[in-house]
Amino acid sequence: MKDYFLLQYTMTNRKLADWGINPFVAYVLMVVGFIFLSEYLYSVTEFAGYVVLVVALSVLTNTSETQRNNFLLIVFGNSKYRKIRIIENVCISLPFSILLFYHNAFIESIALLTVAVVLAGLSFKANLNFAIPTPFYKKPFEFTVGFRNTFYLLPLAYALTVIALSVGNFNLGIFSMLLVVFISLTYYAKPENEYFVWSYAVKSPQFIFNKIKTGTVYTTFLALPILIAMVMFYPLKADEIVLFTLISLSFLWVTILAKYAAYPNQMGLPEAVLIAMCVYYPPLLIAVIPYFYYKSIKKLNILLK
Amino acid sequence: MIKVKNLSKSYGSNNVLKDINLDFLNGKVYGIVGENGAGKTTLFRCIAGLEDYDGEIEAEVTPLKNHLGLLLTEPFFFSKITGSEYIRLLCNARNTPIKDMESRNIFDLPLNQYASTYSTGMKKKLALTAILLQENKYYILDEPFNGVDIQSNIILTEIIHKLRELNKIVIISSHIFSTLSDTCDEIHLLRKGEPIKTVQKNEFKDL
Repeated sequence: MKDYFLLQYTMTNRKLADWGINPFVAYVLMVVGFIFLSEYLYSVTEFAGYVVLVVALSVLTNTSETQRNNFLLIVFGNSKYRKIRIIENVCISLPFSILLFYHNAFIESIALLTVAVVLAGLSFKANLNFAIPTPFYKKPFEFTVGFRNTFYLLPLAYALTVIALSVGNFNLGIFSMLLVVFISLTYYAKPENEYFVWSYAVKSPQFIFNKIKTGTVYTTFLALPILIAMVMFYPLKADEIVLFTLISLSFLWVTILAKYAAYPNQMGLPEAVLIAMCVYYPPLLIAVIPYFYYKSIKKLNILLK
Repeated sequence: MIKVKNLSKSYGSNNVLKDINLDFLNGKVYGIVGENGAGKTTLFRCIAGLEDYDGEIEAEVTPLKNHLGLLLTEPFFFSKITGSEYIRLLCNARNTPIKDMESRNIFDLPLNQYASTYSTGMKKKLALTAILLQENKYYILDEPFNGVDIQSNIILTEIIHKLRELNKIVIISSHIFSTLSDTCDEIHLLRKGEPIKTVQKNEFKDL
């Protein structure tokens, strides 16, 4: 078991070295970045706690991937496998839990750790005969796969909208809409196998355009119930709602572009830093979107000649 | 027709393919045989445009890759995508409308189940079904008979014969010479990245 964690540590160091970053510097930056971003989040929204919970849960679900867990189970056996899963999940959720605790969200902090331990016992089995129905089956794959991975988070966002409207909290309503867009963003976090880019009989600009179009249409579809309800309840703030929608959609576009700007590798620190800068100062999107677009085309041209 | 002219490929100082010249004609089935590491898959990846190379690869339709059905040795599948969605994804990629998928399910696959739960052979059959439904002009099948049961091997052989009748170009690699001799018109033997022999159908028995 110790060897497993040492191997994880070595693999992480190698990845960081591949990105051209000294591992020690990277770890320090990660801690500083986490503290800075979380403090910034708490300073801009009163719903930061919810964001922290959603981010923590979405990171945690990554460790429940069936193939990885089957491999661990075969290698380590049942008892060690359970221990590894619990340790992993606790390690992942601990920074978020400490953050929640620090901001006096004691129940959420303990609940997160409990969920982490419970999730360690679960493997989101793909080997069911039953496939979760999705409205996105006509255009696989990001939203088809993503929806099946995160379907339980969407009702949470819709429930937040209902709460926002019932207590007359406009900001909470906007937050629930942003949450839906954030969930959609996560569908573009990992690069697909080159075969699924190569297969397309289109040039790179058309490929990118199609990806952005599908992402925009499907994200709007998911956020539509919230948008309609918000406009109905706050007709005088319709322009604000539209503005927030457009800004959040532009973050979807920048994420899609960042994914292909790093392709075939996973998005790395340079892309993450630029996106974080855009979150801090959204007008930067005007420069970052064309930059990522240019880089994506260059990367995709290798496969889509 | 596909013409491969003076094709070479290196990874650093390792020359994987050395000055390969091959012609593939319409309505013919070609076999590529070679031991592990002979360069079969690299040759296929170069033809598909998945690798950079020195030399030329010409086809009557360009870009070649947009008309090529490529069956990988180990097809990749997303964890939560059903068989029918996989087929739809690949057909959408080639702008080929897909109608009545069930009747075209030649291998009788459980298309509503997640593809990642399929056995090795079923995965291969699904990937093959998808590239057949793309209605390509050229087909490269890397080890298509590996991991597939005998009955499906027979169906696969029939499919290859049918593709020949439809004037398609089919290029197959395999370690099982008997399956190649049943299906191919010409077999190229590859060793250490070089074609060492070309054998016509009437000479197969001499091999």
